[in-house]
This record gives sequence, C-alpha cells and structure tokens, in this order.
Amino acid sequence: MKRRYWQRKRHLLIAAVAVTIGLFLVTRSTNIEQHTLHSRMLLQMKELDARLDRDVLQVTSFILRHYDSLVETADDIRHLSKTLRDPKYGFYTYTEPAVDQAIDKYLDVLEQKLMLLERIKFRASVLRNGLQYLPTVAEELHKSDGKLEDQVVDLLNRLYRYNLFRSTEEGRQIEGELKKLEADSLNHPYKQLLGNIFLHMQANLRERTALAQLKDLFLAMPAAQRYTELTSAYGAFHANNMRRAEWMSVGLMVSTVLLLSLLGWLLRYLDASREEAQSSWDRLSDAVESVNEAFALFDANGKLVLFNRKWQEFYPWLDALAPGSTLLEMRKANADHVRYEEPEKSVPIDVADLDHVEESYIEQLGDGRWYLASDADTSEGGKACVRVDITESKQIELDLRKLGRALEQSPASVVITDTNGVIEYVNPKFEEISGYSSDEAIGQNPRILKSGDKRPEEYKDLWDTISSGKEWRGVFHNKRKDGSIYWEAASISGLRGEDGEITHYIAVKEDITARKRAEDQLRMNATVFDTASEGILVTDANNRIKTVNPAFTRITGYEPEDIIGQDPKILSSGRHEPHFYRQMWRQINSQGYWSGEVWNRRKDGSVYPEWLSVVVIRDDKTDEIKEYVAVFSDISQRKQDEEQIRRQANYDALTGLPNRSLFFDRLNQAVISARRENGLLALLFVDLDRFKAVNDTFGHVLGDEMLQEVAERLKLCVRDSDTVARLGGDEFVVLAHDMGEVNDAALVAEKIIDQMSRSFSVGGREIALGASIGITIYPEDTDDAEEMMRNADMAMYRAKEGGRNRYQFFTVGMQEQVRERLELEQDLRHAIDRDELRLYYQPIVDSRSGTLQSVEALLRWDHPKRGLVSPETFIPLAEDSGLIIAIGSYVMEEVCYQLREWRRDGIDINVSVNVSSRQLGREFSPWIVSGMLKEYGVRGEWLTLEITEGLLMDDSPEVLKWLNGFKELGLGLSIDDFGTGFSSLSYLKRFPVDVLKIDRSFVHGLPNDVGDVSLVEAILAMGKSLNLKVVAEGVETKQQSQFLRKRGCDLLQGFYFGKPMRESELMAWMKKQGKVSSR
Amino acid sequence: MFCLVASLFLVGTLSASAGTGRTGEPVIPLKPYKNLDPRKVALGDRLYHDVRLSRDNTISCASCHDLATNGSDSRPSSIGINDAVGPIKAPTVYNAAYNFAQFWDGRAATLEEQVSGPIHNPIEMSSDWEQVLGKLRKDLELVELFNDIYPDGLTPDNIASAIADFERSLVTLDSPFDNWLKGDDSALNEQELRGYNLFKSYGCSSCHQGQNVGGNLFASMGAIGDYFGHRGKEIVEVDLGRFNVTGEEIDRYFFKVPSLRLAALQKFYFHDASQTRLEDAIRVMGRYQLGREIPDDDISAIAVFIRSLVGRHPRMKP
Repeated sequence: MKRRYWQRKRHLLIAAVAVTIGLFLVTRSTNIEQHTLHSRMLLQMKELDARLDRDVLQVTSFILRHYDSLVETADDIRHLSKTLRDPKYGFYTYTEPAVDQAIDKYLDVLEQKLMLLERIKFRASVLRNGLQYLPTVAEELHKSDGKLEDQVVDLLNRLYRYNLFRSTEEGRQIEGELKKLEADSLNHPYKQLLGNIFLHMQANLRERTALAQLKDLFLAMPAAQRYTELTSAYGAFHANNMRRAEWMSVGLMVSTVLLLSLLGWLLRYLDASREEAQSSWDRLSDAVESVNEAFALFDANGKLVLFNRKWQEFYPWLDALAPGSTLLEMRKANADHVRYEEPEKSVPIDVADLDHVEESYIEQLGDGRWYLASDADTSEGGKACVRVDITESKQIELDLRKLGRALEQSPASVVITDTNGVIEYVNPKFEEISGYSSDEAIGQNPRILKSGDKRPEEYKDLWDTISSGKEWRGVFHNKRKDGSIYWEAASISGLRGEDGEITHYIAVKEDITARKRAEDQLRMNATVFDTASEGILVTDANNRIKTVNPAFTRITGYEPEDIIGQDPKILSSGRHEPHFYRQMWRQINSQGYWSGEVWNRRKDGSVYPEWLSVVVIRDDKTDEIKEYVAVFSDISQRKQDEEQIRRQANYDALTGLPNRSLFFDRLNQAVISARRENGLLALLFVDLDRFKAVNDTFGHVLGDEMLQEVAERLKLCVRDSDTVARLGGDEFVVLAHDMGEVNDAALVAEKIIDQMSRSFSVGGREIALGASIGITIYPEDTDDAEEMMRNADMAMYRAKEGGRNRYQFFTVGMQEQVRERLELEQDLRHAIDRDELRLYYQPIVDSRSGTLQSVEALLRWDHPKRGLVSPETFIPLAEDSGLIIAIGSYVMEEVCYQLREWRRDGIDINVSVNVSSRQLGREFSPWIVSGMLKEYGVRGEWLTLEITEGLLMDDSPEVLKWLNGFKELGLGLSIDDFGTGFSSLSYLKRFPVDVLKIDRSFVHGLPNDVGDVSLVEAILAMGKSLNLKVVAEGVETKQQSQFLRKRGCDLLQGFYFGKPMRESELMAWMKKQGKVSSR
Repeated sequence: MFCLVASLFLVGTLSASAGTGRTGEPVIPLKPYKNLDPRKVALGDRLYHDVRLSRDNTISCASCHDLATNGSDSRPSSIGINDAVGPIKAPTVYNAAYNFAQFWDGRAATLEEQVSGPIHNPIEMSSDWEQVLGKLRKDLELVELFNDIYPDGLTPDNIASAIADFERSLVTLDSPFDNWLKGDDSALNEQELRGYNLFKSYGCSSCHQGQNVGGNLFASMGAIGDYFGHRGKEIVEVDLGRFNVTGEEIDRYFFKVPSLRLAALQKFYFHDASQTRLEDAIRVMGRYQLGREIPDDDISAIAVFIRSLVGRHPRMKP
C-alpha cells in the first residue's frame, strides 16, 4: 500500500519536474528577433505604400517625366509582398489565421493599387502626349490666321488652364465651346488640321476626367485601413504572445513551489522512515540546500521540519530557532525585523492575516532587503515556505518610481515607446510642446509628429542605431498637433530588461526651435563670410581690423594674425592721392556707404586693383558707429581682360603694330600737337611690291611670317618716337614726328626701300620684295589728318605707277587728278544707262590678200561734256571701281547682238573682244557667256577673247579653268599687247592661246628701229614655233605693212587699213573694199 | 551680423557652381546593372547559347536573339524547332533588364520568369524542365559549375537565374544621346537635336521615356486610330495583347511600350512585324497614336534621333 502511494507521488514528482523544465524552456523562447523582423517588414511595406502614393500624385500632376522610379517602387512592393508571404521568414502561416487574413487583405489592396497604377500610367501618358503635342499643331495652325484660329488658340489656353486647375464647370464649358467650334470649322480650309486639334482636345477632356477618377479611386483604396488592421492583428498576436510568456513565468513559479512541496513531503516521508532511508534524507537535504531559494517546511503541527542554509541566511536572527519551532513562533521572532505587505499594492498585512493570504506576499526587511514569500499548504496540512530575494528588482522599481517623478517634472519632453515604436508614455512637457495629450499620444506611433522633411534613410539610420542598442542623437523637424513646425534635439536609446534585451525605447527631446533659428542665421552668416569669393574686412569704430575672411587672405596674402588690430591703411598702394581717401571717408560717414575702384598692395608688395564697397554698421539703439564692413573683389583679372580687349581693338594681331584705328588716333594727336608747336610731320604710305605673288605662291603661313619680318624692318627705319602701323594686307604706314625738314621724310623712305629690297628668307628661299611709298607733309600739303591719309595713299599709287621701289611726294596736281577721276567715275556709273557707250570695230586683214579677216570690237565713251573719252582713261577707272563687270557684260551682249544681225544679213565676220583680268571669276564666266551665245544664236567660233599677258602671269589654276571654259565653248583666245610684259614660252604652252597680238609700240619703230625689228622677228618666230597666229597692231604705213608681210606676219590691224568705226561705217568700208559678199 | 550679410548681397554676387549633366529630360542615361556575380553571368552566357534547352537540340536563346546584330531576330517571326513559325516578333534581349515586364503582353514580371516561357512553348523550344535537367545533369562539368555557384546546384530556378543575370549584363552604353544627356554638347548634331525636340513636341516621349525610352508601361496600340481595323490582316490571338493576361476588356490591344534604345537596329517593327523601316514605323505611330500624318522631314529627323540612342556593347558588332 505504502509502496503504491510512493509510486504515485514519484510520478507526480517527475511530472512536476517535467512541467518546470518545459515551462522554463517555453518562457525562454519569446522570440524577440522574429518580432523585430516582422515589424520591420511591415514598416517597410507601409513606407513603400506611401512612396507609391507620392509617385502616383506626381504622375497625375505631370511632375514625373519618366516612369522608371514608379517601376522601381512597384517592383519593391511586389518583392516585399512575396517576402511577407514566404514561410521562410516565419511570418505568414506561423503566427495566427487572423494575421494571415490581415496580410492577405492588405496585400490584395496593394495589388489592386498596382493594377490601378498601370491604368494611371497609361492615362497620364495619353494626357501628356496631348499636352505636348497640342502646342506643336497649334503653331502649324498659326500660319493661317483668322477668327476661328484665334478662337481655337483661346480655347487651347483655357484647356491648359483647366489642366492646371481642374473644375467640372470649366470642363463643361470647354466641351461646349469645342462642339461649337467643331461645327463652325466644317467648311474651313484647314478642316483636317482643326479636326486633329479637336480630337486631341476632346481626348484631353475625356482623359483628364478619367485620370482624375482613377486617381480618386487609387487614393480611396483602403490601404491605410488594411495596414492598421494588419498591425493591430499582429499587435494583438504579439501581445497575446507576451501575455502567454508572462503566464508561463507564473506557471513556472507555481510549479517550482509544487516541486519543492513535493520535495518537502519526500523529506518528511524519509524523516518518518529515517532508519531505512537516512541516506535518502541526506540526499534530499542536499537537494534542498542546493536550491537557490530559501526554503522551510513545517508539518501539520506547524513544527519546523526542514530548512536550508539559504533560509538561515535570509533570517539570520532565527539562528537560535531549533527544529521543531513553529511557523507562528518564527513570525513572532520576525516581528522586529520584517514588515509584510501585499505584492504590487504595497498594502501592509497584519501578521495574523498572513495565513489568509493567497499565493504570495512581500516581506520587507529592516535592512532594506525584500523577499517574495509563499507559504503553501502541503497535502498533509503542513506548510512549505519559499522565499525569493527580490531586493534588486524592488530597488529598480523604486528607482523607476523616483525616475517617474523626475520625468513628470522634467523640462525636456520624454517619450517612451515599446519596441514597435508604439508610445507607452509621454511626460507633461511632451504634452505641452507637441499639443497632444497623453491620452491622445499613447498607443500612437511618434510618426504623428513627422513633418515629412526627413528622408526615409535617416529614419532607417535612427532605427538601425537604436535597435542595435546604441544611442541615437539628432534633430527632428516636427509638427505640432496644430500643424505648426518646431525643432527638437532628441536623444533616443533603448531600455533594456533584466535579460539585457531591449524592451522599450526612450526619447528625450528638447525644443530647440529658437536656438535652431539663431544657429541657422549664424551658420548662414558664417558660411557666407567663409565662402564668399569677395574679401571681407570688418573694422571697429576706430577703424582697427577686427576680422577678415579666407577670401581676404587669398587676395591680399595677409593671414588674419598679420592684420587683426591694424589700420587697413597698411593695404594702401600709394597710388591714390590723400584727397581720394578723404573724399571716401567723407561719403562713408555721411551716407553710410561707399563703393569704387581702389588700388591696394598685397603682402608681397604687388599692387592690384579691387572693387571695394564699404558699409557702416550702426548700433540699433544708440545709432553710434559700431563697425565698418568692407567687401572687395580683386579685379586684376578684369583689368587684364580689359587690357586684352583694348589691345585687340587697337593692335594688329599679326605684327603687334598699331592698327588703323589706333594709328588714326595717334595721327590726330600728332596733328594737334604739331599745330601747337609748329612741328613738321611726315606720313608715309608703304605698299609692298610683289607681296601678293609671294602670298599666293608660298601660302598664307609664310606670307604672314614675311609680314612680321617686314614690321620688324620698318621699325628699324624710324625713331622710337615715330609710329609704324599696319593698315591691313601688305599696307603699312609710318608717321614721322618732329622732322627738321621735308627732306628727312625722303631719307626715311629711302631707308625703307633699302630694307624692303634686301632679300627675305621665306620657306627656304631668298625673296626680294621692294616697296612703293607715298609721302605727304604736314602742314605743307594739308593740316587735316584724314586728308593726309588720302594724300599719302594717292602718292603711293603714283609711285607704284611710276615703277616699283620708288617713293613719291604728294603734289597738289595729284589732288586735282583725283578729283577729276572721281567725277569721271561718277559719270561712268551712268554711262550704260544713258547709252553713252559705243562699240567701234577695227578691221583685221590678211597680210597677203588684204581681205578682211575679222574685226576687233573697241569701246568708246561718248561723254556728254567731254566728247569721246579714250579707253585708256576710263577702262582703268572702270576696273578700279568694279564697273568693269557691267561694262564687260554690256560689250559682250552688244557684240553677240551685232553678230546675229550680221549673220542674218549674210555677213560672215568674226569679232574679237577685250576682256579685263578684273572680270575673272565674277559675272563674266563661261557659263554666263554660254547663255548669251544661246540667246543670240551665236557660235563660239565667231568670237575671240583678247586678254593681256598680266593675266597669264598669275599662272593660277583658277585662271586656267576660266580660260579653258571659254575654249570649250569654241571661243578663240588672243594675247593682247604681246611683248610688253614678261613674255614666257612656258605659259604660252600651258594656256590654250590661239593668237598673239604684237603691241603697237613695237610696230611703230618698224622697219628702221633695230630693237623693234629684232623683237618683232622674235615674236613672229615664237608664234610660228608654237603654231600661233600673229596679229600686228597699229600698222600705219605701207612700209610697216610690207615689212610684216615679208616677215610672215599673218594678220595686220591699223589705221593703214582702217580705223575703228561704227557698224554703219564698217559696212560702208567693206562695200568700198569690195570685200563683202552680199547675198 | 545680419547687417553684414545684407551688405554682402548689396555689393556682390556669390558664384554658383553649374552642374554638368542635363536634367528635366524625359530620357535618362542607361547605367550598367549593379552587383552582378560574374560567375553567374558567365554561366548564363553558356546557357544562353546552349541548344540542349530545346527538345531536339537545335535551338538556343541566341537562335532568335542574336547578340551580334540587335539582340533580336532577322526574321519577322522567329522559327522554333521543326520549323514552327512563331506568332509574334521577337523583342530584343538588349536592355531587357530595364523593362518593367517581359514579353509584349508583360506576362512575365521578371527575366527569371521569362526564361521558362520559350523553353516550354511548343513552337519555340518545346521542352520542359524535366527534359532539360535530364540532359544537363549528364554534363558533369556544368553540374560542377552549378554546385560551385548555387548551394542547391542545378535546378530550374538556378538555370533561370543564371540566364537572367547574363541578360542583365546586356546593357548598351555610351550612346551619343546618353553622352549628350551627360553634358557633352558635341555628341549630337543639329539634325539629331531637332529630332529629339520633335520627339518631345509630338508627344512621343510621353510613352517612350525613362532610361529604356519605353519599356515601363502598357499602352494601347492605336490610341487615336483603329490600327487593327486598318491593318488589313485578320486579328489573331497575339493581337489582343495584355487582354490575354488579365482577361479584362480594358486591356484589349494593350502592349508593353517597347524600348526604343535599339529600335534603329531592328529589321521589323511592332509586335506583328508589320513594318520594315524605322521611318515607316514612326509614320504609323503618328497615324495611330496621334491621328495625323507627320511630315517626311520631321520623320527623318526623329529617325536620326532614334539612331543616336544606340549604345555599344562588346557583343554587338557595329
């Protein structure tokens, strides 16, 4: 019987141990990490959802230019949704069905939002398409303006306004208007274009409404609500979890008591059968000893059966108590040392009532220790007493209570949240600052204070910092309940439980709005001061330097320690007169500011210009001067730039010599001072001979080098006080001052010619240039600077005409000529219009038969006042003035006309026409001539162009192309005045020449002048060898004619045969000669 | 101190630094895909060219998405195994990483999901994972490679992951237009710039935007005109577009707006490969998305601009 009873107890014991261990394990496994992970996932989702809302708002207000960010948000949401539902993360299916359902509901809403997002994206892009496109098409419409178009554009403007500020009324109005316009446009020429516009406008109205509806639909999605439901479901689950853990702890306590009771009973049982189980008793006694709690066992008679060492330690004054003393005796003995109270309520318990206390009570000892006491009844009617020392936690509780009072009265605002960030406590200061009462705040997230200007990363950083157990310090820009914004400096840190795990977060915050404002102002000022590119200098009322900024140091080279306390005078360069500073100070003190350009000196002694502004700072109250602030920028660079620009404007970039404008300036100055001092000036115009050829042959680079060398040499020819300038191209000019006599100018000219005639080394070749110089003298020729320029120019041309390497003084006669030339040029301009030009034809005859071969067309000008003007006079004029182009065309057209007329009359005469080199490449091209030939039905073979040797001497591909063009049309080419220039066999071969015309000057000396004879013979030989026909011009006598015929000259032209004559005269002449075959 | 600041603004202006790249444009430069594991990319490269992914070992990804030309097919419809002809134009694989969904109708959300599409399609590779794994498991070297890279070795997911990562490396960079966006004024000539401005003013950029110049939304083919009605060809299943995925009437004829990044290199345009010239494709867009005929001059300018979007990739032969 006894044995069975024992066995039953043993089972109970084992079960109690198992339950204790089990409870212990379960209690241990409250999974903080999982909870943190889940909270974080939910938070993240919420944040993504908010991001989505923001993006959609941006899309619907057309702020987003592309959708990439949207796509990213959507991707993130989908990814996180997947993670939330993934069992791997121990959330979904691991908590409880209510949470799963809440997750499903929330994610469903998000999924619907994403679906709406796609629709919104498309609608927004259609809308945006129209908004971008409509102005383009409206612009097209703009080309035709009319009333309807104006109305359309007006309506468009309204549509755009409507898009910005949508109102249903406005939409209806626009729609009505649109319908009206559409009806009006039915017969409009731009019907199609208008139709397209209307289509897009209607689409806009439609889509705008659709988009607005979608947006409303999107924003109405109950995501926030679902989220709240989810968090509260999860919160409930979590709270439940926590509560369960708490119950487990209580259970553990209970089971420990139970276990110990059983142990006690066992001891008692063993005690009863000591004889047989002394050893068992000892073992049990040891077990009791090893328990951490104080333990004592009383039997049904209230007698102490067993107690452990801890018990003795807990109640040292009970030492004397021998086994067998009763619980009541013990309590009496305790009376002086122990106070009893109910747990949690701190209500004292009378000793007499102790037996009626259920479960446990608290013992407060005189020495400050606290025990949790439990006197449980044993099955035998005894008592098992267990004492746990809870002094430490009690102390903490007390401290907390003290702290609590501190918090209540704290000048800082304090918020305590749980680990999910849900507010559990706020102090009165918080209520005062934030405007939220503690009832309103508790249960909320501190996010209610968010003003929205902190980035998500910053919150993440905060969260990471505090969840890792560190303290986070920083500043919040928060919003009060009434919406006003304030700054708070916050320190947030985790509160740890006894197990070291963070159980709460506490935020201590201070309203620093005022401080922040002041700081910001200071910081901004300091930043401006430190980073300004202008130097800043502040002096006190006595003008002693108080502070300078880094830019000051950079510009002046003075470190702050060099200069603080000094008078800014040490910066002055000495370039300004004392009255300059006096004036400056007068303005500063009277008007409060001054600005202007000042030259100052750097620490290294260099002088620099600065733009300085000085402002007076006065005391707000007393109006006394407190300090002066000087701000300046270094304008050296600007000065240099100005100098650079001045140089560019006044100097020739290639040679560095003054250019025309500077030279003219100097000339004016020189004239003024010469007038004052009765001085003598010489102005020399220098034109390089043959430079054009050099430039064409060797290229511009070497040509430019040569010009630089010329400039150097010119400078050698004059005194330093004289001016050498380049006017452009190869034209230079020299102004010589203070000459003793006119002849000095000639000496300078000779020097220049000498220098220019010396060879230049260019491109590895030695080349001589030479110069032609025109000179004018002040005051002899004129006392006007402009006229001097004209005079010298004229004289220079005269020198050139006289042959190269010459100088020529200006004469009054020249001026006369110039005037006349100018008049003549004026008249020539009108000669064609007034029909004053006449074509004359001079016969060219066969030297053997004397028959007419062809005629040369010669131009005469029948001037209304001067009579006939010779071509030698007016052709150069026409060439210089460019009139040659018009005149050349006129001649060509006249000749073509004449040829047509002659052929029509059956008269076969070929005509040669003189062409000037100035006509090259202008209006007189093969293409133009070809047009004329076609127009008049004239064949190219009937025409020969007479050109001068000079043209061939240029030897350029351009000329060759020009001449070949004419040859292709069938025209003949003839070299006029052959023998006067540099005749060369080589160019005759290269160019497509048919005829040489011996210049009249050589024919004139025939047959007696030996020189002329040998020259003519040479030309004839040359013509023969090249298979060219030769015409002799200016044949005036029978002897000349005979001589030429004998020497084999084919063709002759001259007065001896016939003078140049009008067409009618020519006809008469021909009739007389009988050389015309009339049909 | 406040007076000091005021006086500063009174007398001087503070220099502001100017940024380089252009902002506020609807198109942004392409960036290389970040954090790719080079081993996975190399493995994906291998699989991309592996014909064992098809039932009769004749077709690989590269068969219809040729990297040397344009990442797409030179045929209007791709040819699968046994000469089966696909119903839709193969999109380019270049820059597909930056498309927000894959396939013309967007039925795959990720490149990984996309991979199994053609493998299972009876007229493409006509295979299944079982078969593919069976063949690949015999290739010990390949199995080894998978084991090195993935903890769970050779699996369908990992095959898809490797191919997808390889495809993420196919981003064309350094296009003249991107260089212009980054601030190089000389990168575009006048005509290209004119084309870009027209592209914006005709509203093309409302759909074709972002770094892929498209590829980030679904839009209706024929927003203004009746494209399918005028096409003169029977409407077939693939013409329904997104409708085939969602079953919603509102999605009928909706397609993923294709990226224009390599449009200039394509031989065929639109999902039905109905156009062969870029200029004609632009004309069709004008007709059905805008409701008007765009003048030839403007079309050629826009085409020139679209050519400037073509970047470079080592695999792509210029």
